Amino acid sequence: MTRLPVNLMIGAVLVGLVVATAALSLVWTPYDHTLLNIRDKFAPASPVHWLGTDQLGRDVFSQLMAAARNSVAVALTAVFIGGSIGVSLGLLASAIGGLVEDIVMRLADISFAFPALLFAIMLAAVFGPSLTVAVVAIAFINIPVFARVARASANQIWTREYVFAARAAGMGRFAITRDHVLPNIAAPVIVQATIEFAIAILAEAALSYLGLGAQPPAPSWGRMLSEAQTLMYLAPQLAIYPGLCIVVAVLGFSLLGDGLRDVTDPRLVRER
Amino acid sequence: MIKASKLSVSLGAGQAVRDVSLLVRPGDRIGVVGESGCGKTMLGLAMIGMTPAAAKVSGSLRLDNAEMVGADEKSWQVQRARRVAMVFQEPMAALNPIKRVGDTVMEPLIIHMGLSRAQARECALSLFEEVGIPDPEARFRQFPHEISGGQRQRVLIALALTCDPGLLIADEPTTALDANVALRITELLARLARDRTMALLFISHDLAAVARSTEDMLVMYGGDIVERGKTAAVLSDPRHPYTQGLLSARPRPENVRETDGRRKRLPTIPGAVPPLADLPAGCRFAGRCPVEMSQCATVRPAEREGTICHQLEAAT
Ligand SMILES: Nc1ncnc2c1ncn2[C@@H]1O[C@H](COP(=O)(O)OP(=O)(O)O)[C@@H](O)[C@H]1O
Ligand SMILES: [Mg+2]
Repeated sequence: MTRLPVNLMIGAVLVGLVVATAALSLVWTPYDHTLLNIRDKFAPASPVHWLGTDQLGRDVFSQLMAAARNSVAVALTAVFIGGSIGVSLGLLASAIGGLVEDIVMRLADISFAFPALLFAIMLAAVFGPSLTVAVVAIAFINIPVFARVARASANQIWTREYVFAARAAGMGRFAITRDHVLPNIAAPVIVQATIEFAIAILAEAALSYLGLGAQPPAPSWGRMLSEAQTLMYLAPQLAIYPGLCIVVAVLGFSLLGDGLRDVTDPRLVRER
Repeated sequence: MIKASKLSVSLGAGQAVRDVSLLVRPGDRIGVVGESGCGKTMLGLAMIGMTPAAAKVSGSLRLDNAEMVGADEKSWQVQRARRVAMVFQEPMAALNPIKRVGDTVMEPLIIHMGLSRAQARECALSLFEEVGIPDPEARFRQFPHEISGGQRQRVLIALALTCDPGLLIADEPTTALDANVALRITELLARLARDRTMALLFISHDLAAVARSTEDMLVMYGGDIVERGKTAAVLSDPRHPYTQGLLSARPRPENVRETDGRRKRLPTIPGAVPPLADLPAGCRFAGRCPVEMSQCATVRPAEREGTICHQLEAAT
């Protein structure tokens, strides 16, 4: 056993913190995060309200916890959906090759070039802003990313001799894709998913900040940030806390992704 | 029954296999010898429909009654493993490093033979036993890096046997193995061919292994079959100058030491197999042949009693 890279460990701790908080918020928060208490507004941090209250007297700590849940849920769903579609397309392109591969990859290029924010605004205009809009928009931008990673990795696997041997044993493209290619591209796909997770959390915060994502009373770090913006001079901590949460979550997933990449990089594996 | 007639494989620069005709009947054990680059692998790949994308295959190849030259990947897929299977040189590379070897062998049984997982397991275990893997149950759960090279090659032979092929092509299956292990793999292949009345095309440059495990043999040079016949006859009485050169180049006691005990230089065939583009149009061996005549490089010799050589043509 060699030492794990530092970025992996720090990333894992931060991610663990965010995910644990999100999970905990499902069963327990200090207060109901929607509970208004106007008389107690702008309360400072204290043993009663650990991080104080906001302009409507809601407990900030409880809101941050509930927002973590939304952030993680949106990122998880969006990356899962976008990743599944993208990986399937990438595997398909790689397995069939030729014209199909060209078409899939050109489509990926086009959607990659299409501004995600524009897409989110379009969706919000048609269906009304909601977390679902955020999920769909983020999933959409993930499709070409995963399609590319999956295709590039799969193309490498297709040149391996064990794929050749499997073909010689009579296995078809799709059976080989399922039994040999997919398991062997799992590592780069997981690394990519972790990095996309960070981007998704940032994207959800940005969309909610712009009012295209979470709607009141659904808690979201991005929305908390935009609400606190007008109160910057009065109560700067209301912007700082959700901002810090975003930083911690994004940094955590980025570091974790980098660390996983270091660990799974074949060049490093060979040295061990 | 498998019948190749004038089977050729063109690869941009030239023909890696030229007009090969070959009849393989159930239970035939055929050795294929020749230096590196003589087209042995390409012939094997052509017979299983797996030549590189850039290669053009022409002539005729009949698997039982199906014509396979020009057949698409789908039709080949049906024939592979059932009629023809192949084992490769590098047993480590040919196994997926992250799959348990048992799963690797079970897959084609489930996909091709339509067996349930339990049946496939039974069947794969009995194949493991048949190819001489000790304690199959335990091996089944291991990964390729956990077993020895010889065991890996046995796993790959089991994989090739999953659909009970009529012909097994073994492309230098022992080159990557120790002499001892190689010997046992060679014996295994010969035994399997006998027990199953399966045909075996044994590609090797180990003449001793070919002598031990095959009845017939082909000598390839520059994509041609330059000599063919009963293995014992070819080895004891080689007729083509290339076969003669190949035989005198093998290490044997009388070749290794002089009478006074000094190390002899091993006789070799002068020169090397030229690249495809530089092969002579006539006899492929022209340019390296010790008994070359003026027409050799340009005129293709006709086959006489299993050999193609102008000298022998002239003699009869
Ligand atoms: N993928 C390829 N592309 C082009 N030429 C090839 C390829 N593979 C083999 N060749 C050429 O085909 C000839 C026969 O090769 P091969 O069948 O591998 O010989 P052998 O197995 O007898 O050593 C050689 O001249 C080799 O350089
Ligand atoms: Mg070869």
